Amino acid sequence: MTLRPIIAEFMIEPGTGKAVELLKGQILRVEQVEGGQCADFNCFNLHDYKEFMHCGRTRTVHGFHPTTGTFMWSAPPRERAMLYILEDTVGRNDVLFPRCSAYVYEASYGFAVHTNCHDIQAEAQREYGLTPDDVHDSFNLFMCTGVDEDGHAFMTRQTTKPGDHVDLLALMDVLAVPNVCGADVMKTSNFALKPLKLTVFAATDADLAKVPNVTKLASQRTPKDFRNPTIKTDRPLRRDPAYKAEFPNTPIIVTELPIPLAAEELAMFNAVKRSDIYGDDDAAALRDLLFSWWEERFLQAHAGAPSIGVK
Amino acid sequence: MAETVVKLRLNQQQLELIDRTIAEGVAPDRVSLVRLALREYAAARKADSAVESKR
Repeated sequence: MTLRPIIAEFMIEPGTGKAVELLKGQILRVEQVEGGQCADFNCFNLHDYKEFMHCGRTRTVHGFHPTTGTFMWSAPPRERAMLYILEDTVGRNDVLFPRCSAYVYEASYGFAVHTNCHDIQAEAQREYGLTPDDVHDSFNLFMCTGVDEDGHAFMTRQTTKPGDHVDLLALMDVLAVPNVCGADVMKTSNFALKPLKLTVFAATDADLAKVPNVTKLASQRTPKDFRNPTIKTDRPLRRDPAYKAEFPNTPIIVTELPIPLAAEELAMFNAVKRSDIYGDDDAAALRDLLFSWWEERFLQAHAGAPSIGVK
Repeated sequence: MAETVVKLRLNQQQLELIDRTIAEGVAPDRVSLVRLALREYAAARKADSAVESKR
């Protein structure tokens, strides 16, 4: 096995985080030192901070607990694979919970000041000129979560040990920002704050060969495709008097398509149509059937998620 | 044989999807595609309920 050259090493102490420039083809290892520590994680395109990792897209593609073999995606309209999870010795990460914040600790625990992931991220990102408003929804490494019967996300204790790690391979130049989760009065990190070790490696050819091909599509747009590519630099919102709406594919025009059904087909339809939803509106029930069939037969991803074409 | 006509209402995006499906050779035209969908959808539900009733 070829050893990966080490480029940099950092220790992030409790209450802190670190913004790390991670170039395409480099790997960031986030590693347990004592075990039992959650790491919140943000990630930006190093050359355009407006492209950032999007937990919503990531969880629709990979589920609530992305692990080895999955990607971290950027937000629409970019929607590019930013990082690949090359290795994960635990296999329990979270994209359900938001970062903890000062408000949570004040509102629920009465703290005037408390370590919290939002403020830690903001302080780490400040090294690169970002503001507290730029902190985005966090990918929570090693965080053990689920959804309970009444639909609430819950967190529980983790079982990570020293040396457990997640290896993130950069597919573009990024600013990667892990932090030691500030929650010591929740189960997230087993009620204690511990350091985490960060190592930046150069990926080997064997590492790079593990990354699946992901389809590139015209809909993955960048500022060159935007009608307004200029980043707003002041805070108030004012109407642009020259604005003319250009929503795609509008107006939506409905066409009637008569479908003759023989007696046998009508019986089939009556047996399966969703009268519970559409009542006696057979046209709506048949439309539902048509596209439900299409999903079952042709859709290669979970409904609402892009088919990423991994081969 | 008596036929019942259901007037499906589809917008241009929905029609584009079914026309692309037709272009792939799944069915010769829009009406045939809807009928195919009905037959396959109903058959799948029938198969599911047969499996369920054997449990």
